[in-house]
Amino acid sequence: MNVRQSASEIESDAARWVMRIDREGRSPDVEADLKAWLAGDSRRAGALLQAEAVWSMTDRARLLEPAPRRAPFGRVLAAAAATAAAVVLVGVLLLERPDSYVTEVGEVRRVPLSDGSSASINTASRLEVEMGERVRRVRLDRGEAWFQVAKDAARPFRVEIGRVRVEAVGTAFSVRRLEGGAEVRVTEGVVRTWVEGAARAPVALAAGAVSIVDERAGPATPRVEPAAIDRELAWRAGRIDLAGETLAEAAAEFNRYNARPVVIADPALADERLYGVFRLDDPESFAASVGLSLSAPVAADEAAIRIGDPPG
Amino acid sequence: MREDARQRLVTWVATSVMPHEGRVRGWLRQRLQSPEDIDDLIQEAYARLAALDRFDHIARPDTFFFQIVRNLLVDQIRRSRVVRIEAATELDVPSVYDETPTPERIAGARRELARVGELIEGLPERCRKVFTLRKVEGLSQKEVAERLGVSESVVENEGAKGIRLILRAMREETVDPEYRSRVRDERATKRQ
Repeated sequence: MNVRQSASEIESDAARWVMRIDREGRSPDVEADLKAWLAGDSRRAGALLQAEAVWSMTDRARLLEPAPRRAPFGRVLAAAAATAAAVVLVGVLLLERPDSYVTEVGEVRRVPLSDGSSASINTASRLEVEMGERVRRVRLDRGEAWFQVAKDAARPFRVEIGRVRVEAVGTAFSVRRLEGGAEVRVTEGVVRTWVEGAARAPVALAAGAVSIVDERAGPATPRVEPAAIDRELAWRAGRIDLAGETLAEAAAEFNRYNARPVVIADPALADERLYGVFRLDDPESFAASVGLSLSAPVAADEAAIRIGDPPG
Repeated sequence: MREDARQRLVTWVATSVMPHEGRVRGWLRQRLQSPEDIDDLIQEAYARLAALDRFDHIARPDTFFFQIVRNLLVDQIRRSRVVRIEAATELDVPSVYDETPTPERIAGARRELARVGELIEGLPERCRKVFTLRKVEGLSQKEVAERLGVSESVVENEGAKGIRLILRAMREETVDPEYRSRVRDERATKRQ
């Protein structure tokens, strides 16, 4: 006797059918196979219609202007071509390859993950996601990301940053890759963090905790500052929230997001403390406000935005 | 069905029915316990749409789709031996299903276009490349495979995966977080 297929399995088959029809057209062969498939279960016709609708809906993407923040296609393709030979050889094995996500400078992207979790990926970052049977694994190669983790007691959600590990079951936290380690901020629930291969036991961090985990020394004693975490994660909404950071720190932060840097031409200004909320993609307005409050001249050209006159 | 008629139906479903699926699912969730039952019923409902000869006379596709779902649910309850009283009585009152036009419903085409872009952007890297090359640059699957240096079956797999991820993203847009975590807890329990 046939086992009744689940809706999800039918959906998967339907999506493949749409790709086959797209490739071969509705030739008599295709039509005959399709008819046989459709006859097997009344739900299949519905799933096929849904999958076709998605496929045809994305045709409209052609009308969209190309997104300027993307890497030029040529570059992506050159990289793809370079690995082409290897890729062809491995073929089917590659299907299980982790999904990778890349953001350019200034790009903040929120992406849904297949387990129901989501990742907000900060500027100039790269991560790989692999949803395994026993563990959900994310590798942060560079940059920063904030994760809202779907609860799944059977499969912990683990982020790997070099040898640093941060693991949660269902919670929200961010990690930022640093030289030789990572910075972890917990916004909800509890995470465990450790260094792979180190003798020290994992350290638990609760909501509101920020800790720097050094690859050699392990997790540092966390500071607990829930309000600061919200401010520090303002990038998720494209903002920077300053509460006493120095101009040097703020400029460095802006420069993570913009190709045209904010330059402090007068070193005497570097330690001035700043307050306020600014848009990360608008360093010019930020510089203008700073110029006003510190009575410093601001000069912007194509190469940079300069605050203050160079001494001498 | 002739190919262009089929294409018109597909376009109509994409623009007039699918954007409302999330709300219909929301309505179903108050009446059906298992997410699997809901998935089955929704597929059956689309299967009814697939059998339509004409659809241009349908003034309110969202209400029309909702009626199909409701009728399927009534049939299902009649067929089952044990009828949950509350399930049977609530069926006649589609009050949850508010028909007043919301700003989202009015904002229409432009937003929807931007949304398509976002959905593609949200795909994993390789999946997104397949969609962009095939849909934006208009290459065939074979050409996409050549450009990416992969086999055609990889392109097929990535495309199929993208279709499912977009379907899921569209569905979850109107799902409340509490429900989502409940579903996940149930799935996690099953695995254990």
